[in-house]
Amino acid sequence: MGALLSLDGVVAGYNQGLVLKGVNLSVDASEVTCLIGPNGAGKSTVLKTVSGLLKPISGTVCFDSEDITSLSTHERLRRGIVHVPQDRSLFPAMTVWDNVLMGAHIVRDHAAIRSRLATVVEMFPIVERRRQAHAGSLSGGEQKIVEIARTMMLDPKLILLDEPSIGLDPRSRRLVFDTIRELTKAGRTVLLVEQNARSGLAVAQHGAILEGGVVKLEGTGLSLLDDPLVAQLYLGAVAPTTSVASRATGVLPSPNSISALKEPQ
Amino acid sequence: MHLLVQSIIVGVLTGGVYALMATGQTLIFGVMRVINVAQGAMVILAAYLSSSLFSSFGIDPFLSILITAPILFVLGFTIHATFLRRLRPEQNELSLLIMFAVALGIEGVLGLAYSTTYRSIQTGYVNRSFTVAGYHVALVRLLAFGLSAVILVGLFLLLNRSRFGRSVRATVQNPTSARLLGVEPTRVAAIGFGLGAATAAAAGAVYGLVYPFNGGSHYDLISRLLSIVMLGGLGSLGGSVIAALVMGVAESVVAANVSPIWSSFTFFAVLLAVLVFRPRGLFGVAQRGAL
Ligand SMILES: Nc1ncnc2c1ncn2[C@@H]1O[C@H](COP(=O)(O)OP(=O)(O)OP(=O)(O)O)[C@@H](O)[C@H]1O
Ligand SMILES: [Mg+2]
Repeated sequence: MGALLSLDGVVAGYNQGLVLKGVNLSVDASEVTCLIGPNGAGKSTVLKTVSGLLKPISGTVCFDSEDITSLSTHERLRRGIVHVPQDRSLFPAMTVWDNVLMGAHIVRDHAAIRSRLATVVEMFPIVERRRQAHAGSLSGGEQKIVEIARTMMLDPKLILLDEPSIGLDPRSRRLVFDTIRELTKAGRTVLLVEQNARSGLAVAQHGAILEGGVVKLEGTGLSLLDDPLVAQLYLGAVAPTTSVASRATGVLPSPNSISALKEPQ
Repeated sequence: MHLLVQSIIVGVLTGGVYALMATGQTLIFGVMRVINVAQGAMVILAAYLSSSLFSSFGIDPFLSILITAPILFVLGFTIHATFLRRLRPEQNELSLLIMFAVALGIEGVLGLAYSTTYRSIQTGYVNRSFTVAGYHVALVRLLAFGLSAVILVGLFLLLNRSRFGRSVRATVQNPTSARLLGVEPTRVAAIGFGLGAATAAAAGAVYGLVYPFNGGSHYDLISRLLSIVMLGGLGSLGGSVIAALVMGVAESVVAANVSPIWSSFTFFAVLLAVLVFRPRGLFGVAQRGAL
């Protein structure tokens, strides 16, 4: 199966300067691709160029064999790309139910809305259970689940999830990762950004490491998890197989030395 | 006792009209974070329009709203599209100056088009009144109150039950997130601004029936409206309605039982008291910006 989404030489940034300096990344259909990297590497910025919140300065974003680089957020939603941003994104003073309905804002077909609501309620019981509660009164974990539930109202092909497990307790975190697995079982494609790299890579078929504005390393989720250098640099603490050499010298290899080991294809 | 109850009745009826004016302002603040200091000028503009429609074509002021509301909607929409849309978030303070300039512009145009002498709309029924259980009720004030109530309920239903209303509330509560769901925030803001201005059309017709006015009347009006929306907790629709009733009653009770001279001061006295004891207005943070 070919790539559903591909970024080719994407350069983007804000007033202060460039953040992405030529990002190449491809996301295969019905898989979870997990993007990891240090704070400020530009992971959220990558997602913004995919959802259309930020227009790249150069490079192209292709989705479903179509160049979508210059399309608006609205047009990308129509093509089935939804973005759950890093910050809380529910409307706090609206009910859970209205929040979910907002997910179908661009959908005019009432029959479709009704049938998707039924699906959402079945997949995410909390939507029914707390339907009249104000979204702002839910816990952080509950809010995240409702945010993910809301994306389903668009029947999306590609879901962009920006650090969905941040600030959650272990149980809610597990629930979020289980939900992500469910999504791909239902045929959705997920591009996941995770600070919690170990759990993120564990649910991912494919992983990529962003650093210095470029994708430094790509591979299957498992291969990145097993890579001792990746473990030391990005997964923190103890890796499954720790590099004896670097432990002996007590010197961490510089991030740049990774590229000497493995080049992205 | 009779005087007190009588003045409370008048206060509630007046408060209903204040509520209508304050609601427009609250809506505009909600969608744009703009304190619309031109809301008073828009009300006076609408009062003149209704007055002219009555004197030239014999159109009843209440009916004239059907004509003036679309005009003010377009005015509000245009002000947004011409001046406010260009502002970046960090320039938001400028909006206050822009709206002040709009108020002065409206005042200037009214000064050119009409003389500065006070006028009022004199329909056949303006002075009609009736007595209920010994209390005196002026017909126009009762109609004005009823109209305000109907418009407020309509606005409430629009915001809470319709797809457009949901997108307005979403934009107010989280603009980025609304955009990610396909809402066009500038469009919502422009329509919200237009709706806020359109409520001034209804308020203007009613104002012209109840009070004499001239081009400069908006200064007095806007100071009252600002007190009301501050008291209600900026951005809360329910808050501004309750604050409008509180202020209307306070003003009327003081005017009838103490002295009319102190009645406009009452506004600021109540406002100061509330700000000292409840600095965020009657409806603190929980309601702020929630619409
Ligand atoms: N709206 C913005 N305006 C200006 N600069 C921004 C903006 N958003 C992000 N940046 C800058 O762009 C860089 C990359 O930010 P980005 O949010 O993409 O990083 P990230 O990898 O998601 O980091 P984190 O792990 O902390 O979420 C940072 O230096 C940040 O300061
Ligand atoms: Mg981020």
